[in-house]
Amino acid sequence: MNREDILEKVTIAFSKVLEHNNFTLTNNTTADDVDGWESITHMMIISEIENDFNIKFKLMDLMNMNSIGDLLDSLESELKVS
Amino acid sequence: MKFIKNIQNSIEYNSEHNVLCVNNVFYSYNDFATEIKKIRYAIANTIESTEKLIGLVTNDDIQTYASIIALWLEGKAYVPVNPEVPLDRNLQVFNSTQTQYVIDSSKESVYNNHIVISPLNLTESYPDLNPKKIEGEDLAYILFTSGTTGQPKGVPITFNNVQALVNAIDEEPTFNLNNTDRCLQMFELTFDFSVVTYLFPILAGSCMYTIPKGVIKYFYIFKLIKEKELTVLTMVPSIINYLRPYFHEINEESVRYCSFGGGALHTDIAKEWSNCLPNCKIFNYYGPTEFTVYSGFYPYHKETHTKSYNGIIAIGKPQKDTLYLVVDDSNKEVPIGATGELCLGGPQITPGYWKNEERNKLSFFSREENGEQIRYYKTGDLCIKDEEGDFLYVGRADFQVKIRGYRVELSEIEYHAKAKSEKKVNMVAVDIYNKLGNAEIGLAIESNPFDTTQIFEYMKSKMPNYMIPMHVEFIEVFPHSINGKIDRKALKKHFNIS
Repeated sequence: MNREDILEKVTIAFSKVLEHNNFTLTNNTTADDVDGWESITHMMIISEIENDFNIKFKLMDLMNMNSIGDLLDSLESELKVS
Repeated sequence: MKFIKNIQNSIEYNSEHNVLCVNNVFYSYNDFATEIKKIRYAIANTIESTEKLIGLVTNDDIQTYASIIALWLEGKAYVPVNPEVPLDRNLQVFNSTQTQYVIDSSKESVYNNHIVISPLNLTESYPDLNPKKIEGEDLAYILFTSGTTGQPKGVPITFNNVQALVNAIDEEPTFNLNNTDRCLQMFELTFDFSVVTYLFPILAGSCMYTIPKGVIKYFYIFKLIKEKELTVLTMVPSIINYLRPYFHEINEESVRYCSFGGGALHTDIAKEWSNCLPNCKIFNYYGPTEFTVYSGFYPYHKETHTKSYNGIIAIGKPQKDTLYLVVDDSNKEVPIGATGELCLGGPQITPGYWKNEERNKLSFFSREENGEQIRYYKTGDLCIKDEEGDFLYVGRADFQVKIRGYRVELSEIEYHAKAKSEKKVNMVAVDIYNKLGNAEIGLAIESNPFDTTQIFEYMKSKMPNYMIPMHVEFIEVFPHSINGKIDRKALKKHFNIS
């Protein structure tokens, strides 16, 4: 799975949890840029993505995840391992 | 005022130590003194001596903390407003305190009708940090909490109140900060819990670590604990609810104190969290804004101190000079073991809600004890006193809930939801719990479904983010209890979020 495919799947997870799609996710997108992306929904988005990709993030990855770019990096490396 | 003199002493004595870490940038107590002197000069030279209640925009920077200290050295109070809260609500706050001057470190201030002091462009400095002579009855700050009628409720706290808090914490031998401690400061400065997370570190010469805006708080907190090896944590319990799925990855030996407050702490999660911090003492603090942050605590220990009621850890005993009283509907003390409303008396009690006599009559009362009139504040929290003198938390007596530690009156949400709605239908706000055990707000509407965009836009212009309902359910006919009241418990079952 390449980075574009991952991003597409991630975008679907975001709109499912946030119940809207008024956003475009890029490497630099942070929680500040997307309406409704905050503490509670972040948790829901993470578990949605974990289910969709059938992976489990480590706390160490999550604590350094500040942008969509970081999220995609983590997913790429997780998918390589599995 | 002793505590203000001690702030000065600590700042001067610890000048080489760090006071603050904001977004990985460190500031020393020497930097802090420089900022305080500049802001103090501006205060002393622009604000008339009769003006006591000064607005403060709570940005996450050294200038904002320095402003608090500068105001206190000048014997003035800060009236904090969060820049992320709708301007309308913040102006309502300044209007009610008749605040004319605002200290605002934002690049551009939105307070065009106020006289703004910008701490970023100051050149002149006050010569020293010697406090003015301060009247104990004068105010140190006013905080606003959610009110029932759409008007935020002001809680003024005096310098004497703060001194009494400091005295009580100093008296506690098991809690001692020093100038090597690294302390979490996760609270927005409009939230009363922040008073203990900046005041005690500054008094001890410790360093505070803040949370930048726009990050996911609980992960950032963990990152700070891990990378900065924090030693002192003060948190609301909802933070550890979020971290719970990752507890097996957490083992932080640096942490020596962890204090909880601002919400019920549950036994199961406290025990698991305690396993993550092998060298840590855990305190379960209790206290409302009206009683200057803390009124007492229970020293939790996973093996020896696990007292609880319905799975919620006890709130323990009152601290020095504080009196706890559990009363019935007519303010008469109930026997040991019986449930009643917890009331607090002592020197930390607020003089009363700001310009709200009606509310004051309901929330405060006096009673004679040993020939002395003692004034009590009714907390709205239901408690039981047990045989050993410990107090157990039972629940709320009214419709106030805690969302991420913030006090929210459900009726205020209902008020704003209905205010501009074209459809005149019943709306009820309820607190519902997600699978992590954190409260979220749901809005039940007695109607067939309709578009709520306009209602939500209006609410967002009137209330802070944490008060905006996350879930909406349309229910054709609301369930009622036998005595004809809307059955809120049954309403909650319509929201399925766990």
